[in-house]
Amino acid sequence: MDFVLHGLALLMAPKVLLIICISSIYGLFVGAMPGLTATMAAALLIPFTFFMDPVPALVSIVTMSAMAIFAGDIPAALVRIPGTPSSAAYTQDSFELTKQGKAELVLGADVIFSAIGGLMGAVVLMSSAPLLAEVAMKFSSFEYFWLAALGLSATVMVSRGSQVKGALAMVLGLFLSTIGVDITLGYPRFTFGSVELLNGVDFIPAMIGVFGVSEVLRNVLEGEMSYPITRVRAGKIFAGIGGLIKRYKINVLRSGLLGTFIGILPGAGADIAAWLAYAVSKRSSKEPEKYGAGSLEAIIDAGTANNSCLAGDWVPALVFGIPGDSITAIVIGVLFMKGLRPGPMIFERQPEIIYAVYLAFILANLLMIPFGYLAIRASAQMLRVPKNILMPAILMFCIIGSFAINNSVFDIGTMLLMGVVGYFMEANGYAVAPIVLGLVLGPILEQNFMISMIKSEWDLTLFFIRPISAILGGLTIIVWFFPVLATFLEKAKKNNSVPVQ
Amino acid sequence: MKRGDLIGGGIFTALGIFIFILTFQFPSLEGGHPGPSLFPRILAILFIFFGGIIVLRGLRAGKKEPESAPAEEIPVPRNYFDPIFVFILIGAYMILSNWLGFFITSTLILFLMMIKLRVPYLRSLVISILLTLFVNFMFYKILRVPLPTGFFGW
Repeated sequence: MDFVLHGLALLMAPKVLLIICISSIYGLFVGAMPGLTATMAAALLIPFTFFMDPVPALVSIVTMSAMAIFAGDIPAALVRIPGTPSSAAYTQDSFELTKQGKAELVLGADVIFSAIGGLMGAVVLMSSAPLLAEVAMKFSSFEYFWLAALGLSATVMVSRGSQVKGALAMVLGLFLSTIGVDITLGYPRFTFGSVELLNGVDFIPAMIGVFGVSEVLRNVLEGEMSYPITRVRAGKIFAGIGGLIKRYKINVLRSGLLGTFIGILPGAGADIAAWLAYAVSKRSSKEPEKYGAGSLEAIIDAGTANNSCLAGDWVPALVFGIPGDSITAIVIGVLFMKGLRPGPMIFERQPEIIYAVYLAFILANLLMIPFGYLAIRASAQMLRVPKNILMPAILMFCIIGSFAINNSVFDIGTMLLMGVVGYFMEANGYAVAPIVLGLVLGPILEQNFMISMIKSEWDLTLFFIRPISAILGGLTIIVWFFPVLATFLEKAKKNNSVPVQ
Repeated sequence: MKRGDLIGGGIFTALGIFIFILTFQFPSLEGGHPGPSLFPRILAILFIFFGGIIVLRGLRAGKKEPESAPAEEIPVPRNYFDPIFVFILIGAYMILSNWLGFFITSTLILFLMMIKLRVPYLRSLVISILLTLFVNFMFYKILRVPLPTGFFGW
C-alpha cells in the first residue's frame, strides 16, 4: 500500500501533472494529424524525457500514447484518413456513419470506448505484471536469450509487407547494436577508428532518424492534402453513450481482453489489435453485412481493443525488458537511459515507479474523456494546420532533439543516415520498426547468449534442457515457420487468382 | 519496384559479405571459442540469406511481364519534392550551425524548406523566425541544451 501512495505522490507532483497535461495535448494533436504516428510522437518526445526524472519521463510517454491512439479516430471519422495506423481498421465504418450524419455519435463512442479499453488494459497490466515478475525472477540468461529471440521473431512475423524484408530490417538493427566495444573482450567492432562509435550507435538519434525523418519525407512527398471537414456539433457528443455501453458490454469485455492479450504478445501493437478485434467482431456480430458500410459495433470493438493494447504492451516491457511494440521499444531505451534495467528486479527495487506507471494509465484514460472532448471540439482547427509548415517544424525538432542528448553533431549525422536508410527501406516495402527493436534487443540477445555459453562452457543443449527455456525456445522456433507458411498461403492465393488486398 | 528488390537485396547481401570478412580480424576467446566475432558472423549469414531471397524474388518477378504502373498512382496531387533536398538541409545544419550559430542556421533551413513546400516568402520568413525562437525556448531555456553559437555569438 505504501508503494501505491508513494507512486501516487510521485504522480501528483505539480510538475508531473503539468507534464501530463502537455503530453496529453501533444498526443492528441499528433494522433489527430493524418500521416503522423504515435511512434513518431514518442520518438520526438524522448529528447525531452532525457532531461526528466524516471517517473515523469515514463508518465509522459503513457499519456501521450494513450491520447494519440484515441485521437487517430478523429480524422478517421471526419475526413476518412486514419490519424494513426491503429485507427485504420475502422476508418471506413467511421466515415460512413459520419456521412449518415452521425459524426457526433461516432466520436463520442470513440472517446468513451477508448477510455474504457485503456482502463481495462490498465487493470490487466496491474494484475498480471507482478505475477509474471515473480515467474521472471526464476529466469536466467538462457530464458532471457529466448525471450529476446521470441520478441524479435514475433516482430518480424507481424511486420507489414514481406516478412523476409522485415527480417532484413531486424538483422540490420541487430547489426547496428554490435557496433562499438564488445562485451566479452572489450574489442571495438566496426568502429573504423571512430571514437564516437566506441559506445555504439546511439539509440535516440537512430530512432529519431527511422521514425521521425522518414515520416517527414513520406509526408512532404505526398503533398498538401485538402479535404472537406465535417463540422461537429459538440453538444451531442455524449448523447446515448450510456445505452451503447449497456448494449455492447460483452463486445467491450471481449475486445478489451483481446487487445490487452495482443499487447502482451511481444511485437504486435495496437494496429494489429484493432484489425483482429474488427475481424472477431464481424464474425460474431448479428449484422455482419453492416461492416464496412458504417457499423458502430465494429468501431466499438476495434476502438476498445487498440487502446487496451497499449497497457498490454507494457507488460513484457516492464517484466522482461522485451518490448510489446515499437513505442515500448522506445520506453525500454528510456529506462536504460535512466539507469533502470527493466525486468523483475525493478518490481522489487523501485516498486514506486511501477505503481506510478499503473496509476498514470488510469489517470490518462480518465483524462481522455475531458481532453478528448476538447480535441473533438477543436478538430476542425487541428485538421487545418498546414503540413507545409508542420513538416519543417518537425524536421527541426528531429535535428535539435538528436543533438540535445550528447550535444554532438555526430548524433545528427547518425539521425540523417538512419533517416535515409529508413526512407529508402520503407519506399521499397521494408517495415522499419524491426530496425529499432533489433537495436534495443541486440545487446540483450548477445549478452545473454554469451553469458550462457561461457557459463555452461559452450554446452548448447542447456538452451533446450531447462524447462522454461525449452518452452520459450520451442515457441520461438514455431514463430520462425510462420513466414514459410505465409509464403505458401500467398502462392496458393495467387494461383487461385483471388484478389489479395 | 522489382528493380528496387534487386538493388536492396544486393546491398544487404554485400553488407553481409563485408561483415563476414571483417569478423576474421576479431580476436577469439580462450580455448579458441568465437567471442566478439560470433554474433556479427551469424548476422552476416542472415544478411546474405535473406538478401539473397530478395534478389532471387526480384529476378523472378523481372522475367514475368513488367509491373503495371497505375498501381503506384496516388489520388492526391503530388508536389515535386526531392527527398535528397531534406538530406542536404540536415547536412547543411551539421556544417553551418557551428559557423553561423543556431539562430541563423535554423531560420535559414526552415525558410528554405517552406519555400520548397510552396509557402509564400514573407509567411515562410516570419514562421521560420517564430519556430526558431520556439525551439530555442524549449531546448535552451527549458532543457538548458547549449545550442551552437557560431561566429556572431547567437
